[in-house]
Amino acid sequence: MATKTVSEKTLKNSFKQWFFWNGCSQQAETMLGMAFGQSMAPVIDELYDTKEEKAEGLKRHITLFNTESQVGSVCNGIAIGMEEQLANGVGTAEAIQDAKVALIGPTSAIGDSLWVATIIPLLLTICLSIAQGLTTAPWVGALLYMLVYPLGTYLLSWRLFKLGYKAGLEGVQRFMMSGQLDKIMNAITVLGLIVVGALTANFVTCSLNIDIKTATQVFDEASKSYVDGTISVFNLDNLLNSVFPKIVPLGLTLFVYNLYAKKNWSPLAIMGIILLLAAVLTAIGFIPGIGAFV
Amino acid sequence: MSTLQVILIALFCYLGAIGSIVGNTIGWYCLGRPLVASFVVGLIMGDVSTAMVVGIPLQIAYLANVTPGGAVAWDLSYATYIGTAMALALKGTVGDNAALIGLAFAGAGVGGVVGGTMWNVHYALDVFINRWANKVAESGDCKKMWMPNIIGGQCIGFLCRFVPAVIVLSAIRAAGAANGISIPGWFTTGISAFGSMMAALGMGIILAFLVKKPVHWAIFLAGFVLATYFGMSTMAVAVIAVLVAVIYYAILEKKEVA
Repeated sequence: MATKTVSEKTLKNSFKQWFFWNGCSQQAETMLGMAFGQSMAPVIDELYDTKEEKAEGLKRHITLFNTESQVGSVCNGIAIGMEEQLANGVGTAEAIQDAKVALIGPTSAIGDSLWVATIIPLLLTICLSIAQGLTTAPWVGALLYMLVYPLGTYLLSWRLFKLGYKAGLEGVQRFMMSGQLDKIMNAITVLGLIVVGALTANFVTCSLNIDIKTATQVFDEASKSYVDGTISVFNLDNLLNSVFPKIVPLGLTLFVYNLYAKKNWSPLAIMGIILLLAAVLTAIGFIPGIGAFV
Repeated sequence: MSTLQVILIALFCYLGAIGSIVGNTIGWYCLGRPLVASFVVGLIMGDVSTAMVVGIPLQIAYLANVTPGGAVAWDLSYATYIGTAMALALKGTVGDNAALIGLAFAGAGVGGVVGGTMWNVHYALDVFINRWANKVAESGDCKKMWMPNIIGGQCIGFLCRFVPAVIVLSAIRAAGAANGISIPGWFTTGISAFGSMMAALGMGIILAFLVKKPVHWAIFLAGFVLATYFGMSTMAVAVIAVLVAVIYYAILEKKEVA
């Protein structure tokens, strides 16, 4: 009996079905299970002959599966490699199931922290800077993101898919265990942290709006004479900024981190708190005597 | 807004949502980002420059929209398509850019909540398609395996996204036709304060993913003070960060050899 292999055409077909339709039917019961099954269907079709074998094959791939799907395409590659071996009488169906379950955790973690939480904000920041820089044509930044992100992700995702297929479960695990991945992750974490630091400084704004003024005579440039006016005697934001610039936005960011990471608040609840804080701080700004807006 | 514009924006609202027919890479992670969404709305409404005026602050506020394990509380796609559309539709009734941005954030608030709710409805209804998928798998018909996922998932997804978007956008259109709404100054001040504080939410969540040991706080603060004390732009800090990461990686490699 000739050894069965998955053709390049089927590999591409399987990858495309995953890349475009992995999120179509997400739900609580099997998460991305149906989409995974769809992506495996052409492979099963090619590898097995009888209806019964095909049914068994399909059934083991519509079970619970979840990952960050762009980086997680490596799981599809691994599963295809294992199916190919199984069709040739090596390995067991249970081993494929176990491998898929084992891959859920690490691939989700790498995908979410590396790709979604680091690469996307980084790329968006670059495109935002371009948009802000080109005042006459800010849309160039948007267009650039529309081209670079999908194309780059498509190539990365396809390469990971092929890597999973070629290297197999052991190869990928060996790579994950070798420490190589840890080093890359560590270096990118450093990159991400520095950029997030700069983003926090440049984009988060928060003022306490306390500015106590006193009525006095001020020199009016236009009329070259002294008129009634006010000067600030105590501006809390300026005082704090002279101690450590932008300490209030930094404090707000750390407060949000604490609520999210330590107290397990949901993003929506944190948003509510921020809305409340914004309302209170704005109200302070309008209080006669101490507010910054009056 | 014309009827065609309402339909087109609602269509993109669906395409930019999680699990639309174009896939999450092109949809949620690209069309759904405020920078891109505002550009698309600008093209549809024929006013790209105003759209970008509100799109940039929206993008800053929602820079780090991470959805671990599919937990969507806040639908970014909905928030930004509706927010930008609202700002453009009611542009004539407000004075300056600050008020326009305030309008966009108010629209984004409504859109985000509607979208988040509809996502949860979608997520719950999709469970029923599993039976169909089981039946197909049971029959061993590989050629039909795509049907539950795409036909089933998309029928539900499209209805959950497109229809509510048309309703919300029509309401905005009606408000625009009725000569808009007057927005008091304190509201504009408050909502733009909220918008710029919202950026802290994204940063806080990214930090939760990145910080693994105490020394990471020092690295984060290094980036922070480069921007504050040295007044560097984010791009400049990003370039330095890339260099530092490469050097750091090289040091890690060397340690291995020694």
